[in-house]
Amino acid sequence: MATVELETPRKRLTLADANRDITRPIQKPAGRYVLLVLLTMAGIALGAGAWFYQIAVGLGVAGITHPVMWGVYITSFVFWVGIAHSGTLISAILFLFRSGWRTTINRSAEAMTIFSVMTAGLFPLIHLGRVWYFYYLMPYPSQRQIWPDFRSPLVMDVFAVGTYFTISLLFWYTGLIPDLAVLRDKVAGIRHKIYGALSLGWQGTVNEWRHYRRVYLYMAGVATPLVLSVHSVVSWDFALAIVPGWHSTIFAPYFVAGAIYSGVAMVMTLMIPLRWAFGLEDYVTEDHFENMSKLLLLTSWIVAYSYATEFFLVWYSGDPIEIESFRWRATGAYALPFWAMIFCNTVIPQTLWFKKVRRSVHALFVLSIFVNIGMWYERFVIFVSSLAHEYEPASWGIYRPSWVEISILIGSFCWFFFWFLLFSKTLPVISIAEVKEHLAHEHHGES
Amino acid sequence: MSGVLAQYDTLDGTVEAIGRLRAAGHSELQIFSPIPSPELEEAMDIHSSPVRIWTLIGGITGCVTGLLLTSGTSLGYPMVTQGKPIVSLPPFVVFMFELTVLLTGIFGLVALLVHARRPVIHLDPNYRTNFSVDRWGVFVPADGERRSEAERLVRETGAVDVEVSQ
Repeated sequence: MATVELETPRKRLTLADANRDITRPIQKPAGRYVLLVLLTMAGIALGAGAWFYQIAVGLGVAGITHPVMWGVYITSFVFWVGIAHSGTLISAILFLFRSGWRTTINRSAEAMTIFSVMTAGLFPLIHLGRVWYFYYLMPYPSQRQIWPDFRSPLVMDVFAVGTYFTISLLFWYTGLIPDLAVLRDKVAGIRHKIYGALSLGWQGTVNEWRHYRRVYLYMAGVATPLVLSVHSVVSWDFALAIVPGWHSTIFAPYFVAGAIYSGVAMVMTLMIPLRWAFGLEDYVTEDHFENMSKLLLLTSWIVAYSYATEFFLVWYSGDPIEIESFRWRATGAYALPFWAMIFCNTVIPQTLWFKKVRRSVHALFVLSIFVNIGMWYERFVIFVSSLAHEYEPASWGIYRPSWVEISILIGSFCWFFFWFLLFSKTLPVISIAEVKEHLAHEHHGES
Repeated sequence: MSGVLAQYDTLDGTVEAIGRLRAAGHSELQIFSPIPSPELEEAMDIHSSPVRIWTLIGGITGCVTGLLLTSGTSLGYPMVTQGKPIVSLPPFVVFMFELTVLLTGIFGLVALLVHARRPVIHLDPNYRTNFSVDRWGVFVPADGERRSEAERLVRETGAVDVEVSQ
């Protein structure tokens, strides 16, 4: 029997342990869990109610108006697309680099990716106002032979986010197939039938595994450039416009680094309570959090460097409009969100230089929430403060989110957590096959 | 089908059993594993998978589709926007790339299902539920003397459970 160590062990684990421990949460939910689900459903009801009110009354109930036509909705869209990024980073890029520590966190990170893209996708629809016209962005043969303008970054966005969602879902599902077979073999009744259908009759034959390994590798291979491209495309929604504060060539790498940064923070926000609630401390260890912390520290420096570069380039260009835009960003009506962004994204993460912080799940949980807040503010500051203070003083204005926008924002967080809660009770939150592969090969190496 | 179904609790034991069975002329083995193992593929002398061809075809199809969709629709309704050429390759490359990735992934999953012969409704009669837990399975189709020889070989290589079917 394979009884070997997984990263930093608390006990020696066997393959059967992995099956038992990881599938343990998939049982009748406790009262606390039901309460949490009900709370998220209440938040979804709040957001949905606000959206229906907006549809019934009109987009005027949102705070967006001239000159700030992109407010909380677009901020939240970019925020949620950004959150999605670390899932693919952890599942695909770290897989290609053979980083063993990804094994126990990739499944949840991938689930997070899917749910955050599902959340992000709602915001452009909400922002449209007349949501029933969303299909105008799709390339379909209409009566008048009018097609989308394929030179527009907004149409690129539809393709990029749509592809990202589809590939993330396929990648996630492919990884789940062997684990669904584990669940099929473990449970009885209707659940046996459901897991059996979802596992497609997987039996773990050598023939199945050989095709599976290659497909997983190729999917990781194509998902890697995809993760870098999606937020680059999202950044071009802004960078291709001539708005001062947006029209910058650094936006693509700046956005990608920020996306990975916020995504890793969200993985921590989700994984820390999850491993405590499901007793997975033997699998998701302090070593995993320390590695994630190092990634967080690295990306925080890339983000800090990007902030500094933005200001430097503006000063170096000598363009008075850009200089005024950035002066106002730091000292004007949105100075508070700006400095909150600087504090949360560049100052607080410096505590990660200390090993004690990197290995303290409590400290990391608090820190990750600060980063989430800081990264939401980052997008808010870039979009809103730039639009509010463009070229002509006559067209300057102040934007304040309305209760409708705030309610929908709260609803979006509840929507995201609702799906994650459902996932955590119905599917293995850690990849059983990968953990067992790790254990068996350690054993193979020892013998 | 008559034969011998052996269960192992280590990867090493399974690899050894495959080697000895194949050396004895039992080449039509059915192997079950709880984990993906390159060692088992090597032992079975399997080195590649045709799914790579599918993913390549998917990628090329996606790239060409992206080019045809963007250029064809632009030429079909030739309206100059933003002062750019009707066929503006730099922005169209984004669509070509996205569709390349999209169809590579979709073709890859389809290839997995086709070549792994999934989905199936009924599991193989030689499948045991502990193959998804911590056991490796080796089924040797054989009868008569050959079955006795296979049984002896799997016992010698440390099988923890042996079933002989007539």
